[in-house]
Amino acid sequence: MSIDTQALDDVVHVASAISDVVVIELAGVNKWYGEFHVLKDINLSVNKGERIVICGPSGSGKSTMIRCINRLEEHQAGDIIVNGTEMGNNLKNIDAIRRDVGMVFQQFNLFPHLTVLENCTLAPIWVKNMPKAEAEKIAMQYLERVKIPEQAQKYPGQLSGGQQQRVAIARSLCMSPTIMLFDEPTSALDPEMISEVLDVMVGLAESGMTMLVVTHEMGFAKRVADRVIFMDQGEIVEQNTPDEFFTNPKSDRTKLFLSQILAH
Amino acid sequence: MTDATQSDTAFRPKPSLPPPANTVGAVGWLRKNLFGGPVDTILTVVSLYLVYLIVQFAIEYGIINAIWSADTYRECLDINRGEGACWAGIGVWFNSMMYGRYPDEEQWRVNLGGIILLLWLIPFWLPKITGKIQIGMSAVLTFPFLGAALFLGGEFGIFLHVMASVALTLFAAVWLHVATTYVFGRSLAELLVSATGFAGKDDRLHKYVLLGAFGVGFVLSLVYLGSWDLVEIPTTIWGGLFLTLVISGIGIASALPNGILLALGRRSKMPVIRVFCTAFIELFRSVPLITILFMAVTMMPLFLPVELNPPKLAMVIVAVCIFAAAYMAETVRGGLQAVNKGQYEAAQAMGLNFWKMMALIVMPQALKLMIPNIVGSFMGLMKDTTLVSIIGLYDILLMGKAAGQNPNWLGFHTEPLLFTAMFFFVLCFAMSKYSQHLERTIGGGYGRR
Repeated sequence: MSIDTQALDDVVHVASAISDVVVIELAGVNKWYGEFHVLKDINLSVNKGERIVICGPSGSGKSTMIRCINRLEEHQAGDIIVNGTEMGNNLKNIDAIRRDVGMVFQQFNLFPHLTVLENCTLAPIWVKNMPKAEAEKIAMQYLERVKIPEQAQKYPGQLSGGQQQRVAIARSLCMSPTIMLFDEPTSALDPEMISEVLDVMVGLAESGMTMLVVTHEMGFAKRVADRVIFMDQGEIVEQNTPDEFFTNPKSDRTKLFLSQILAH
Repeated sequence: MTDATQSDTAFRPKPSLPPPANTVGAVGWLRKNLFGGPVDTILTVVSLYLVYLIVQFAIEYGIINAIWSADTYRECLDINRGEGACWAGIGVWFNSMMYGRYPDEEQWRVNLGGIILLLWLIPFWLPKITGKIQIGMSAVLTFPFLGAALFLGGEFGIFLHVMASVALTLFAAVWLHVATTYVFGRSLAELLVSATGFAGKDDRLHKYVLLGAFGVGFVLSLVYLGSWDLVEIPTTIWGGLFLTLVISGIGIASALPNGILLALGRRSKMPVIRVFCTAFIELFRSVPLITILFMAVTMMPLFLPVELNPPKLAMVIVAVCIFAAAYMAETVRGGLQAVNKGQYEAAQAMGLNFWKMMALIVMPQALKLMIPNIVGSFMGLMKDTTLVSIIGLYDILLMGKAAGQNPNWLGFHTEPLLFTAMFFFVLCFAMSKYSQHLERTIGGGYGRR
């Protein structure tokens, strides 16, 4: 991380448009992996249009938390309500939530046997029963938005990491989600490619998308986030606006973390 | 900074040079692969000598000293004293080794069945054709019934009559589809919809048009099949290569779908299904095929009602299918485990349900990884079907053996075995080559990184 605190001060924050509608509500969420208590009594509510950056040391449960929001992980206690739908064991509810929530992974997870365009049209065609021509039209719009329409006929294996991650973002957007989850979207990228992905994400933030981003890109947090959440040992230790979070961290644990990632 | 210093410091890559002369071309290849050092040179010379000996023997035995026309094995031996092959015998026994005791004047039915299957599968390799998966599925699922009606003949029951009609209708549809694609450039479905004036209507109405067309075809086939008057040929006199292909063909066609279901069942989160599938797979994988065959032929009839009394061949086919499915299940499971967990998660996160995730995302990748193993299983299965000779079905191997027991051909054993081996080699080698071709062409995205 080559960003110092001084550089962060110069960042211009993207205008935010938060409504007072709550779209995600986590209340008393607990999760265990066997004996290991990975999420401890998580309470979090996210408003429509809010951009949240979640950071914390590895193993702090931040990925697990956002993966609970679209049920890639099952929680054992507490309530998760997304867009008014309660996440339970009801498969219909889970499918409804997943249709509304897009996700971008650290390892891209594009489908290697399909072209870029097919990656983008698969879910609209098979989940939303959209006609192929319409799905392709929408997919091309989003590929243009992430600035790689010319790669549509290639296979993911032929693209660079940054391009693959942008395709992954376009693929999620093709389902027109109302919420986007990002699980360390730039951690697997070469340094040269991080900014092209972050640019796309900033553009998405400008369009008013509700975003939950697990990342260590503090420049991005400063520029885009409405709220920064710091997690450790499965708990939310601290949450605040980026200004307050970076200049005036409250807990010692947060101070230590910030000194470690911003030091060099 | 001035222009002069800029050109001095600008990065200019060095030009690429050709490789040294003695490492490329024919001389380079020989040096590298055959005469790399004294040990290599000795091995090369010895191997070439061995190859020479083998080829020389094969030519002398198979061509120079071989007898091409004779009426009995004695005649062959009188001429070449056993130093050459008696290919004349293959000519005499060819028909038996192909069809077993299937009557000569009815063998056209077997040939016709084979031709229909080939024609059914040809569209698979025609580039313009759409709906190849449906074509393949229709052939695999319904051809066996049409084949059974054709090969068995006689009065077939209502079930076989209906299924064979379905098969005939689909076969006609496949080739109509090919014809419309090449003549009009449109698929059969499109043409039917526009011809009946439904083109502008709701998409959902289109399937009624197709169902109607299928119904008409089905009734026509039903009537046509009803007019067949074929002599009944019981399965007990089927034999030769024909029987081998019937058993291994059904075994191979059923192995993959059953194997996929068993593998999914074994990975299921539902305990009852998982335990059942695991027990099934482990039981039939741990028992030799010949044991299963004996059980099927001798034990099973004891448990079934007398009036059912299924023919031996049916029991054997069921046994082979079970055995093949159990083996295939483990191959498929290996492939499923090789697919990255992230692929499952990405598919789930997009809202695909379990079956769509499996069919669209996981299976295509797993199958591509599994092609060598799947084809390996198929080849093994094909060769394993020769075990049915032990329980008295006259497949190509047992038919060849029977030839040597005929009074005129006593001792005629080597040539039928060579001939049988050649058949298996041709079939298996073709499968192997085709699988390598598939590996290269399916899902082009992998190889070109």
